[in-house]
Amino acid sequence: MTNLNTIDPAAVLDEGKFGDDEVVIGKSRIILRRFLRNRTAVAGLAIFLALTLFSFIGGFFGSWDKETIDPFNIGMPPSAEHPLGTSQAGIDLYALTVEGTRVSILIGVVVGLVSVLIAAVYGCTMAFFGRKVDKVMLFILEALIMMPALLVVAVATSGGANGLKNTVPSWLLLIIVLLVFSWMGTARLIRSLSLSLMQRDFVKASQYMGIPPRRIVWRHLVPNIGSLLVLEVTRGVTGAILAEVAFSFIGIGIKVPDVSLGVLIGQSTSQVSTFPWMFWAPLIVMFLLTGSLAMMNDGLRDAFDPSSSSVGRAKRKKASGKATGKIPSGTTQKKIK
Amino acid sequence: MLRYLAKRALTYVFMIFLTTSAGYLLAVSTLQPALLEQERIPRPTPEQVVNSFRLKGLDPTLNPWERYVDWLTAILTRWDWGRSPNGAFINAEFGDRVWISTRLFLASIILTLVIGVALGVFTAARQYKASDRAITSYSYLMYIVPAPIAYFLVQLGAININESVGERVFFVTGISTPGLDGDGWAQFVDMLAHYAVPTFAITIVGWGAYQIAQRQYLLDNVNADFVRTARAKGLTRNQAISRHALRVSFIPVAQSIAFTIPAIFAGGFFAEKIFAWHGVGSWSIDSIALQDVNAATATLAYGSVIFAVGAILADFATTLVDPRVRVQ
Repeated sequence: MTNLNTIDPAAVLDEGKFGDDEVVIGKSRIILRRFLRNRTAVAGLAIFLALTLFSFIGGFFGSWDKETIDPFNIGMPPSAEHPLGTSQAGIDLYALTVEGTRVSILIGVVVGLVSVLIAAVYGCTMAFFGRKVDKVMLFILEALIMMPALLVVAVATSGGANGLKNTVPSWLLLIIVLLVFSWMGTARLIRSLSLSLMQRDFVKASQYMGIPPRRIVWRHLVPNIGSLLVLEVTRGVTGAILAEVAFSFIGIGIKVPDVSLGVLIGQSTSQVSTFPWMFWAPLIVMFLLTGSLAMMNDGLRDAFDPSSSSVGRAKRKKASGKATGKIPSGTTQKKIK
Repeated sequence: MLRYLAKRALTYVFMIFLTTSAGYLLAVSTLQPALLEQERIPRPTPEQVVNSFRLKGLDPTLNPWERYVDWLTAILTRWDWGRSPNGAFINAEFGDRVWISTRLFLASIILTLVIGVALGVFTAARQYKASDRAITSYSYLMYIVPAPIAYFLVQLGAININESVGERVFFVTGISTPGLDGDGWAQFVDMLAHYAVPTFAITIVGWGAYQIAQRQYLLDNVNADFVRTARAKGLTRNQAISRHALRVSFIPVAQSIAFTIPAIFAGGFFAEKIFAWHGVGSWSIDSIALQDVNAATATLAYGSVIFAVGAILADFATTLVDPRVRVQ
C-alpha cells in the first residue's frame, strides 16, 4: 500500500505525461512496462515459454515415443530418423528429452510456487504474532534448515520395502521432499521484512482499529513484500530445477522408469566420449532452462525496484533511445507503450 | 556475550539431538539391510541374518523405538555409534572419513573465500566497466550450473589435457597413487597432481556467490552518507572505500561465510562422488544405498554439528565486528 505512495520516478513521469486525461497508471502496468523494456528479461521469458511449449507439444513432432525401443538403432548418433540419436537402450533421445524437460519444468514450477506460498504464510504469521509463537516457529524452522535435505531425499526415494516408492511416482516424491526443505530460507527473509513492517504506523493504526489479523496480513503485509515474493518464485523455480538435476545426476532423486533432465545427463556421463550426443542434448536444454530463468529474474528485480540502477544496459538503452523525447511529454508516452 | 553464546550453544545442542533422533527414526523405519543380505551366495537363512545382525546390535526384530533407545544409550554411555551391517565400527571409519573430507575442502574453502571477496571488491570499485561485467556474468553463470555438472566438466577438461599432453599430468580421481614409494618430493608431486583438479573445480564453482554478495553489499555502502562524508573530508575514493565502506560491507559476507563452510563440508557429496574421494559426503550416500542405518545417522549428526558450529561462529563474528548488534 505504501509502495503506491512512495515517490516512484517512473510513476511520476508517466502521470505527468497524462496531464489532460487525468489517468493514473497502475503500479502493475508500470512494472510490466519496465520488465518489457529489458530485452534480456523478455528474451528469457520467451525462451522459458518456448521450452514449456516444447515440452508439451514436442512429442507430436517426433515419430517415436519414450517407451518404444528401436532395435536397429541402439546407441546411434543423430540421424534423419532420430534427430537427437538414441540411448543405449535404443530409445529415441528426442522423445526422452521432451519428457525430461516436462518433468523438470513441472518440478521446478510446483516447488517454486508452493514453497514461496508456504514461506509467505509462515513468515508473516511469525512476524504478526511475535513473542512465543515466533520463538517456537523459528525453532522449528532452524531445526529444518539443519536437516541435510540430501539424506532425506535419498532415504525417501530409495527406501526399499515400505511400498511408498511403489505407490507414488518418484517425481511426486521428489517434489514433496524438495518442498519440505526449500521454503525455510525464504520464510526467514520474509519474517525479517515483515517484522520491520509491523513497526510501521499504518500497521499499528489498523491494529488499533480492530481489523482482524488475516486482513492486516493480506492488505498491508503481503503487498509490501509482493516484489520479494515474485522474485523468490523465479529463484525457487531455478533452485528446484538445479536440485533435481543435481540429485538425479548422482543417482538419487528421480528413478529410472521416470525421466528427467538430471536422469538423462547422469546416465550418459560415464560414456561421454563414446556417446557425446546423449550428454550434450539434455545439458543444453537444462542450460536454456536455468539461463532463461536467471535472465527473467534479473529483469523482474529491476522492474520492481524503482531506484535500481543495476541494469546499466536497459538504462542506457532508455537514455539513448528516449533521452530526446523525455522533455516534450507526449512523444515518450507512445514509445514506452 | 559469553552467556549469550552459551545459550545459543545450548539451543543448538537440543536441535542437534532432535534432528539426529528424527533422522535415526526415519532411517530405521525405512532402511532394511536384511533385504541386501538375501543377495548373498550362498543365500543365508532368515535366522542366520537375524542372528548376525543381532550380534552387531542391529536386531531387525525389535521395533524402531526399542532400537532407538538402545542406540541412544550406547552413544550417551559409551560414545559408541554402533556398527554397519558389514561389521565395521562407525567410530573408527568416521575418523578416517572426516580427515579425508577436511583435506579435500580446506584448501578450496580458503581459496574460494579469498578470490571471491577480492574480486567482489575489485568489481564493485569498477562498476559497469568491462572487467566488472565479465566477472559478474561469470558468477551468474555459475549460479545456473548445478555443481556436480560443473565438476564433471572440469574433470573432462583435465582428461583432455592429459590426452593432448600424452601422459598423466592430473589425476582426476582418488587421493594418492596406491603403493607409490619414493622420496618426499615424489610424494609431494603425486599429492599435487591429485589435489589440483578437485581443488580447482570446487574453487571456480564456489567463488561466484561470494563475489556477487561482496560486490552487492559494497555497492550498497559506496553511496552511503558516511562514505560521502569521508570523501568530503578529503579522502580519495579508494581510501574512503577501503577504510569506511569495506568494513561495513564485510559484515554480512562474514556471516554468510560462517554459514557456507558447513554447507561446503556437508554438501560435498557431489565433489566426493565425482572425484572419488571417500569422505563423509560420499559415505552418507553409500550408507543409504547399503541400507546402513547407523552410518547414515552418524553423517547426519555430523552435518548438524558442523552447521551449529557455523551458526555460532556467525553469531560470534557479527557481535565482534559490528558494534551495533545488541546482544541479549
